[in-house]
Amino acid sequence: MSSFVSGSTHSGNQTFKLASRFALRELRGGLKGFYIFIACIALGVAAIAGVTSVSRALTEGIAEEGQAILGGDLSFSVIHRQVEPEQVAFLETLGDVSRIATLRAMSRRTDTGDQALVELKAVDNAYPLYGNLDLASGQSLDEALASKDGIWGAVADLALLARLDVKVGDQLALGRTTVRITDVIEGEPDKLAGGMDFGPRLMISDAVIPDTGLVQPGSLVRWHYRVRMSPAPDVQDLESVVERAKAAEPEAGWRVRSRANASPGLQRSIDRFAQFLTLVGLTALVVGGVGVANAVRSYLETKREVIASFKCLGSTGGFVFKIYLVQMLIIALIGIFIGLVLGAMIPFAAGAALSSVLPVQLAASIYPAELGLGLLYGLLTALAFALWPLGRAHDVPPTALFRDIVTGGSKLPRKRYLFATAVTVLVLVSIAIFLSHDKDLAVVYIGATAGAFVLLVAVARLIMFAAKRLPSVRSTELRLAIANIHRPGALTPSVVLSLGLGLSLLVALALIDGNLRRELSATISDKAPSFFFVDIQSHERDAFEALLMQEAPDAELQSVPMLRGRIISLKGIPSDEFEPAQEGSEWVLRGDRGITYEKTLPENSELAEGTWWPEDYAGNPLVSFDLESATELGLTIGDKITVNVLGREITAEIANLRDIEWQSFGINFVMVFSPNTFAGAPHANLMTLGWAKEVPTETELALLKTVSNAFPTVTSVRVKDAISQVNELVAQLAWAIRGASSITLIASVLVLAGALAAGHRSRIYDAVILKTIGATRPRLILAYGLEYAILGLVTAVFALVAGGIAAWYVITQIMGGSFVLMPVTAAGAALVALILTVGFGLIGTWRILGEKPAPVLRNL
Amino acid sequence: MVAERPIVEGMYLSGRRSRARCKGLIMTNSPAITLKNVHLTLGEGAGRVHILKGIDLDIEKGTSVGLVGPSGSGKSTLLMVMAGLERADEGSVEVAGSQLGPLSEDQLARFRGRNVGIIFQSFHLVPNMTALENVAVPLELAGDSSAFEKAKAELEAVGLGHRMHHYPAQMSGGEQQRVAVARALVVEPQILIADEPTGNLDESTGAQIVDLMFSAQRDRKTTLVLVTHDPSLAEKCDRMIRMRSGEVEEDHAGSAHLPEEVSA
Repeated sequence: MSSFVSGSTHSGNQTFKLASRFALRELRGGLKGFYIFIACIALGVAAIAGVTSVSRALTEGIAEEGQAILGGDLSFSVIHRQVEPEQVAFLETLGDVSRIATLRAMSRRTDTGDQALVELKAVDNAYPLYGNLDLASGQSLDEALASKDGIWGAVADLALLARLDVKVGDQLALGRTTVRITDVIEGEPDKLAGGMDFGPRLMISDAVIPDTGLVQPGSLVRWHYRVRMSPAPDVQDLESVVERAKAAEPEAGWRVRSRANASPGLQRSIDRFAQFLTLVGLTALVVGGVGVANAVRSYLETKREVIASFKCLGSTGGFVFKIYLVQMLIIALIGIFIGLVLGAMIPFAAGAALSSVLPVQLAASIYPAELGLGLLYGLLTALAFALWPLGRAHDVPPTALFRDIVTGGSKLPRKRYLFATAVTVLVLVSIAIFLSHDKDLAVVYIGATAGAFVLLVAVARLIMFAAKRLPSVRSTELRLAIANIHRPGALTPSVVLSLGLGLSLLVALALIDGNLRRELSATISDKAPSFFFVDIQSHERDAFEALLMQEAPDAELQSVPMLRGRIISLKGIPSDEFEPAQEGSEWVLRGDRGITYEKTLPENSELAEGTWWPEDYAGNPLVSFDLESATELGLTIGDKITVNVLGREITAEIANLRDIEWQSFGINFVMVFSPNTFAGAPHANLMTLGWAKEVPTETELALLKTVSNAFPTVTSVRVKDAISQVNELVAQLAWAIRGASSITLIASVLVLAGALAAGHRSRIYDAVILKTIGATRPRLILAYGLEYAILGLVTAVFALVAGGIAAWYVITQIMGGSFVLMPVTAAGAALVALILTVGFGLIGTWRILGEKPAPVLRNL
Repeated sequence: MVAERPIVEGMYLSGRRSRARCKGLIMTNSPAITLKNVHLTLGEGAGRVHILKGIDLDIEKGTSVGLVGPSGSGKSTLLMVMAGLERADEGSVEVAGSQLGPLSEDQLARFRGRNVGIIFQSFHLVPNMTALENVAVPLELAGDSSAFEKAKAELEAVGLGHRMHHYPAQMSGGEQQRVAVARALVVEPQILIADEPTGNLDESTGAQIVDLMFSAQRDRKTTLVLVTHDPSLAEKCDRMIRMRSGEVEEDHAGSAHLPEEVSA
C-alpha cells in the first residue's frame, strides 16, 4: 500500500525549484498588500547600510587624508618642553621635519581690552608638510605670517574675528607682544590632530614665540615634530619605523603617531557613534518587522483557499510553507534592494550636505561589506518576523474549501517553525552584539528592546482583556470604541506594538538628552568655579592671587601646582601593553594627564584606602590614585607607576586611593604625588576662582579683562564658555541621534498605517451596516476617534514609562548622573501618539464614511 | 481469482485492466472505497456535533454514486472522509486499496495527488495561474516531467484548447469549472469526487459539466462520487445514497443503467 505514498519523487533541490516556480506564478498578481512590508524593510536596511557606509566613508576619509590630518607621515609630540637636539637629529634621519607648537592663550584687543581664549599654533617655514593651508585672500602662509614694520603677521579663524569684532589689518595683543591679523584661515589640513578646541585658532610664526613670553618652564605647550618621509612608506613600513623610533630614543618620552592612525580619538568617536546609530537602525528594522509579520499574516489570510486547493491537489504542508517562504523572500529582497540603493546613496548625499560641518572629507564610495551587513540584517529581520505566520500556513486544512471553519487564530505553528524563528532571532542578536564595539551596551540595548517588545505584546493583550471585561457603558460611541478594541482581529496589538516601540525610544532619547543638558548647565555650574587660570608661573603666583583677592574679594580661590605627564608603565608593564582589569579607564593611559602634588588630601575627594603621607614626607616618591580608575585598571596600594614628566621618568608607589567627585568641575587629578617628587622641577600653577552666589556676566567679564591685561601670559578659561562649548557638541550629537531615531518613528508610522489599512475592509462593512441601521457620520467619527484615542493614550503612557525607565537607567546607572522626569517631553510624546493614531485613523475612516451603503451591501 | 461479488468482477473485467496505468498500485478486486463503522465529530465544547454516526459503505470500482440529503446531513463530510481530507474518529477508511487511517498528513496529501480528483462547487482555481498551469499543478506536485503536455491534452479534451493561457478571472464560470474538471482528471485518478459541481452554474452549462464527468467516469472507468442537491443529477448515477443526520438513510441503484455484464 505504501508504494505510492512513501517518499516524494522529488529531491530537496527539485522541491525548492518547484516551490519557487509556484511562488513566482503567485506573485504575478503584483505586490499589492506588500508595499508596507517593502517600505519597512527598505527603511531599516537603508538606515543600517547608510549609517555603516557613512562611518566607513569617514574612516576611509581619515585614512586617505591621514598625512594631512597628522601633518606628516609620523608625528612625535612632547609637552612642556622641546626634544633634545640628538633626538631632532634622529628625526632628521627619517625625513623632512617640521616643528610646531600648540598652546592655549589669551588674545586681546589693543583698544578696548576685550579678550578671547585662542588655540594658538606656532609654525615653522616647513609647515604644512602635507595638504594646504587655505587663506581667504589666497596669499601664501609665509607672506601672511611675515613681520612687517616690526609687527608680526597672524592668521585666524573667522570665529575669532567675530568674537572680538576685529577685521583683517587690526592688531591683537598676544602675551607680551602684538600681532597683526593678516588673513582668515579657510582650511587647516591638520586641524583634527589637535583634539578638542576651547577657542578659535590663531596661527603665528614660531619666531614670534619668544616675544610673547607665553612659553615658560612648565607652560602647557605641546611641541609636535612632524616627519615627511620620501618616498612615503606604506602602513607596514610605518609601523616598523615607529618601533625603531621608540627603540632608538627610549628616553625621549614622546608620543608617536603615524598617518595610519592619524586621529585615534576621532576614530573612536566615529566607531562608537556608528555603533549606536546602527542599533537605532536595527530598532527601526525590528519595528518594521511588526509590519512584515502583519503583511505576511494578512496575505496568507487571503490565500487560505489557494493553500487548501494546493493541499487537495496533493501538496504537503511543508511544500505550502516553501511556496510562501520563497514569495516572502522575494518580496523581502525587493525591500532590501531598495534599502541598499538608498543606503549606498547616503554617503554621497551626506558628503555633499555635511561638507561644511564634517572635519574630514568623506570618502564617499560604495562599500560592499557595509551593504552586505544591511542585506544580512534585513533578511534576518524579515525571516524572524515572517517564519511564525508562514508556519501557520502549513496547517491550513484542505477542508477550508468546503466550509468556513473559524479556528482559533492564536494557534501556535509547528515546533520546527518556532525553532526556526528562535534560531533566526538568536543569529540576529548575536551578529548585532558581535559587531558592536561596546558589547555590554549592545546587550543592554538589545535586552531593553526585546523587553519592551514582550511588554508591549502583554500590554496589548491586557488592554483587550480589560476592554472585554469592562462593564457596559451607556454611550453608544464609547461602547462601539471599546468593542473595536477587543474584538477578534482588532487593531490593538498592531498599534500598541508598532507605535509603542518607536515612541519609547523617542521618549528615552529625549529624556537622556534633556537630562544631560540640565546636568551640564544647572547642576554643575552651581558647584563649579567660574574661572580656571592656567600657566601661572610660580614667580607671579602671589601677585596673581593678590590681584584676584583685590578684584573679587568675596570669591573663593584654589591654587595647585600643575604639570602634564604621560604614564609610561604600570606595575612594570609598558602602558601600551598593559591590560586593564575592567573597561572604562583606558583614557588614563592615553595621552598626557594633569599631574600635581599636595601636602594634604585635596578638597572634593575622600580617602578611600591607605593613608595620606605626612606633610614633611621625604622618602621615595608616593602617589595617590583615583579609586575608580585604579579599580578599573586593576591597581592597588603598593603598585608602582612610572610617569614621564618634563622628559624625566619618575617611578612612584601608590600610597592611597581617593574617591573623587568629578562632576564638581573643581580641580581634580587622577594622580596626586607627594611634594618631594617634583622638588625643584619647573612648573606652572592652576588656579580656580568661584563665587558662592552667581554673579552677573558683566562682573565675570570685567574680572577677565583686568586679569588678562595685568597678566597677559596667563590663560583664562571661563567655565560658562567651556560649558556652552560642550553644550553645543551635545546639541549636535542630539540632532544626529534624533534624526536616526525618527527613522524608527517613521517605521512605526508605516506599520501603523499598514495595520489601519488592513482593517479597512472590515471597517467599511461595519460602517455601512451601522449607517444602514441609522448611525450618523458624526457618531461614527466619534466612535472611531475614541477608539484611536484610547489606543494612542495607552501606548503613550507605556512609552513614557518604558522610555523613562530606560533614560533613568542610562543617566543614573551608566553615566552616574541624576535623573529628572521632564513634563514637557512627556506631554510631547503623548501628543505625538495621539496625533498619529487619531490622525491616521480618522484620515482612513473619513473615506470609509463616504462609502455608499448599497454597493457594499450588494457585494456582501 | 474468485470474485466475492459478481458486480465487482464484472466491473473489473469491463475495466480492461485500465487500472494498471496507475503507478505502483497494488491491484485487488476489492471495492474502490470501503468505509467501516465511520464516526466523526467536529467542533469543540458546546459546539461539538456528531456528524457521521457509524457509516458502513462499499463503493465499487468504476461506478458512479450520488450522495444526497438535506443540509447538515453529513454528505459533504462523508465526501471529505473519502478524499482523505478529514480523518474519521473511529472506524476504517480504505480508498483505492489504501487504509487512510495510518497515513500521515503529508502521506495523505500525496495519496490525494495521485489517486483522487476533486471538483468543487466554487471551482477553486488558483487565481494567479493560467488554465494550463492550474491543470498542471497536481502533476507538477507529483514530479511528472511531462506535466504540461498532459495538462494541454486534458484541457483540449474538455474543449478549452483555445483558453490555455487565460487566467481564471478571464473565464466564465462554466469554463472555470471545465478547467477544474480537467485538473481533477489529469492525474488519471481512481476516484473522482465532486461537491455540488453544478451548484454555481446555470442549467445548460451545468449539463455540460455533468456530461464531462460522466463520460470520464465511463471512458476511464473512474469511480465517481458526487454530492448534489439536484435530484435529476443524482438520478444519473449508478447508485444513490441518501443521508440523514449522519446516517445512510437509503441506498439504492440510480435510474442509469448499470454496465450490461453486471445487470445481466
